[in-house]
Amino acid sequence: MERSGSRLKILAFVVACMFVALSTRLWFLQVLAGPQHDRDARDNSLRTVATDALRGDILDRDGRRLVHNRISLEVRIKRDELGDEAEATLAHLSEILGVPAQELGEELDTKLYYSYQPVPVAEFVPEQVYFKVREEPEKFQGVEVVEQSVRSYPQGSLAAHLVGWVGQINAEEIDDPLFAGYGPSDLVGKAGIEATYERWLRGKPGEERFLVNSDGDVLREFDPRPAEPGHDLRLSLDLDVQRIVEDELAAGLQRARTVFDASTGRNLAANAGAVVVIDPNTGGIVSMTSWPTFRPSWFVKGLSPEQDHYLNASEAAPSLSRATQITYAPGSTFKPFVALAALKEGLATMGGYYDCPADYVHPGDESGTIFHNWDGVGAGSLSIAQGLKVSCDTQYYQWGSDFYFRDAQTNQEELQRRVKQWGFGQPSDVDLPAEAAGTVPDRKYVTEHRARYPDGWIPGIDILLAIGSGEMKATPLQVAQAYAALASGKLCRPHLVSRIEDGEGRVARKIGGHCRRIPYTEAELNYIREALRSVTTGGTASSVFAPCSLDVAGKTGTAERPPFQDTSWFAGIVPAERPEYVIVATVEQGGFGAETAAPIVRNIMSRIYRTPCEGPALGEAED
Amino acid sequence: MDLVAGRVYADERRPIRHIDGFLLLVTAILLLLGFILIYSATNQTLRLDRLDPFARVNRQMVTAVIGMVLLLFMATFDYRFLKVYAGFIFVGVLLSLVLVHVPFLGSSAAGAQRWFEIAGGAGGLQITPSEFAKIGLIVMLAASLSELKRDTPTVQDLIRICGIALVPLMLVFIQPDIGTSIVFVAIAGGMLLVAGVRGRHLGALLAISLVMIAAAFQLGVIKEYQLDRLRVFIDRENTPADVRYNLDQAEIAVGSGGLFGQGYLHGRQTTLDYVPEQHTDFIFTVAGEEFGFVGAVFVLTLFALLLWRSIRTAFLSKDPFGTYLATGVAIMFAVQMFVNIGMVIGIMPITGIPLPFLSYGGSSMLASCMGVGILLNVHMRRFK
Repeated sequence: MERSGSRLKILAFVVACMFVALSTRLWFLQVLAGPQHDRDARDNSLRTVATDALRGDILDRDGRRLVHNRISLEVRIKRDELGDEAEATLAHLSEILGVPAQELGEELDTKLYYSYQPVPVAEFVPEQVYFKVREEPEKFQGVEVVEQSVRSYPQGSLAAHLVGWVGQINAEEIDDPLFAGYGPSDLVGKAGIEATYERWLRGKPGEERFLVNSDGDVLREFDPRPAEPGHDLRLSLDLDVQRIVEDELAAGLQRARTVFDASTGRNLAANAGAVVVIDPNTGGIVSMTSWPTFRPSWFVKGLSPEQDHYLNASEAAPSLSRATQITYAPGSTFKPFVALAALKEGLATMGGYYDCPADYVHPGDESGTIFHNWDGVGAGSLSIAQGLKVSCDTQYYQWGSDFYFRDAQTNQEELQRRVKQWGFGQPSDVDLPAEAAGTVPDRKYVTEHRARYPDGWIPGIDILLAIGSGEMKATPLQVAQAYAALASGKLCRPHLVSRIEDGEGRVARKIGGHCRRIPYTEAELNYIREALRSVTTGGTASSVFAPCSLDVAGKTGTAERPPFQDTSWFAGIVPAERPEYVIVATVEQGGFGAETAAPIVRNIMSRIYRTPCEGPALGEAED
Repeated sequence: MDLVAGRVYADERRPIRHIDGFLLLVTAILLLLGFILIYSATNQTLRLDRLDPFARVNRQMVTAVIGMVLLLFMATFDYRFLKVYAGFIFVGVLLSLVLVHVPFLGSSAAGAQRWFEIAGGAGGLQITPSEFAKIGLIVMLAASLSELKRDTPTVQDLIRICGIALVPLMLVFIQPDIGTSIVFVAIAGGMLLVAGVRGRHLGALLAISLVMIAAAFQLGVIKEYQLDRLRVFIDRENTPADVRYNLDQAEIAVGSGGLFGQGYLHGRQTTLDYVPEQHTDFIFTVAGEEFGFVGAVFVLTLFALLLWRSIRTAFLSKDPFGTYLATGVAIMFAVQMFVNIGMVIGIMPITGIPLPFLSYGGSSMLASCMGVGILLNVHMRRFK
């Protein structure tokens, strides 16, 4: 027993060594090399293939479809099932598709899809292809014809800029954390509300998970998770109004091109324009259009070279929305807000009268700069209202100059601060991508853009700002938002989508109602509204509106844009008494506001309210 | 007085009073841990096949109950009866190892003839005789060694003992079941060591073994997949990925557990069923992945306690037969644990050896329970 006892100790020692060896190895494996193994575990051969979710529909306020999905037949090739007959299969396929086999082969040589994922080689194939592949499966080993949903636009090019388009995710997007969980062949909204509401429209892709060994063979398939369809978007847009607006903008541009412009010695170019129709009580966009335009359906099959050139390389830049992505000097449409600023800051009163001479020279200015009235004629002494009615510039030059002096004393930038209260100089936060912020030139802006202001902070900046000119820039939507605030007394965030609904029509989220009161009294606002009403009854737009029995408060605007022809503006509130719509039209190189933009707005109002205007319809006079 | 004192003495000597409760406790914890690990390893797969996710655990529990009955049974009679019947037991074991090769009786998988199928189908029972052969060999060797006249076995003794061990070893080896063969060799070698074999004799034995292994390679007895496993172990980098797959996945699983593990039922490798044979030979990966280093060391600690009690029993035994029995069982547990866990974490080549108590599988569980039963038996009858 003695001896076996000592030998048992040897055994115990050996066993102890075993534990030491195992623990050491475990420490090394789990604690020291743990993180590396953790990574290995993560990118282990689990392959996840996403199955597309049906993208949500886009509907107008009454539920009419702007965008939905339709089925396209797609031919896909499973590369791992092609086998030895690959060439023969491609040859058969080439025969029924009418595409050279070589091209099909090139399609297969792609990195967009994992090796076990089927590669689409042809879309929108006729049904016969489907039947032929099914009839002779032995000829088409590894070929499948599947139904694929694609975007469909039953309204054609209507609201193209608003709807936007979808396209394959690009390299930058796929690295963006915003697109986490997207695959390299996924479609994403690229423009319009397709882009803004991507998160809602997309739905939740389903998942098929495969266990793959190191050779890429599928070892096992897991229970698939079905895709959840995306949400539908219910817009504040009214398709009927949208149709009218697009019609009238196109017609208005057409008309303008027949008008001779004396200052340039040729007809107006009227190369582009935008119209915004907004509900002043909610900020809901009833209609919005931009010209030139395009068809979203072009993107479904991929752009042809001509389409691609037109959209992306031509000077017309039709993919840009003039309503939200381009800024213009607002011209005289800006005056009501300056007048209210002058009222609030005590530079003018509702009972006061202010000179409207033919020219204005800033006191103490020795550079000899003369600011002219737009028609080069003086009008004596006018109230604020009368000044708006005839769009007197020199009154505003004076106020601009007054604001300059006030600011020199207080350093408060009163004019800039006041006009910004209407939303100018900052994005309206509309639910559309890449909105332009516009500019209200203030000290900060001038300091940051020294090149444009070689003389620095000078009176001329405030003087030009007072008539909405110079570096003052706004999008048509910003002008519409400001007029809507004028009409309703509250500044609302404009929005195109009013409700997000799930597949069963349940509301997942309501959008809109983000409004705040503006710091002006009802008396001040009413004074300006009345003044704007007189613009259409006896002022700059009276000849346009005279034949109609519409109750409109509005303002024309003509903004210089050298070396181009003037930008034509009109902003109208209808009915002036109980505002329902604010309509703003902007036409690039459209001449006077009353000449091009105002008639467009008038025609739109006339058609919305079905109140035909007496006398010859605009533009048809020559017929 | 004498009479009373005698009764008290007799009462104190009743074996049941000296049962090793601690050993029973460790065994029970190991069994429970086994259920927990097996559930994690199998529930996903069963769900995917639309089966009851508890199916395997339930089955293992039933086996464990049978195992406990066997364990208690092995402890009820005086272990010295085993010495009396050692020859019968051994012959029975050899017979079963031969019969498993008979086509209509034995079943095979992956080219190996290893078990009997009783009442086939999913609910059927598989009996792997080589598992029970370990116990049989331990009993036979213990009986032979305890009969030796001298303190140091002579060459003749050695040859006789080796002859005894060689018969079941060859039968298992040709199945082929290299893992169990290793356990057999270890049991025989270890018991000889404790029996006091001279160092030079052990050396000679080692040399002969090496020659035989070399011969096995030369004669092509070793199958290709076994060679592959060996190659993976020796030269991992240059092995094709599919051969390496098991080992890679197991190592990733254990390694990704880190210090504290990924949490029960949250092991990535485990839930995705990456590790082949995870509920049987690779059960340790579940502990490693889901409970981390801490969990792995906990498992090792349980085995350390088990082995401590085993070796202690060998020390305490009142006779050499008991010492040899306990030694054999201790070696069986130690070698299986070391080879199994070592294989999972890459310090031993892959051999199909189950981890005692934790691996899913009936015969291994029953044999392990019998082992503990023998330990209990020797321990509680340690007084003369």
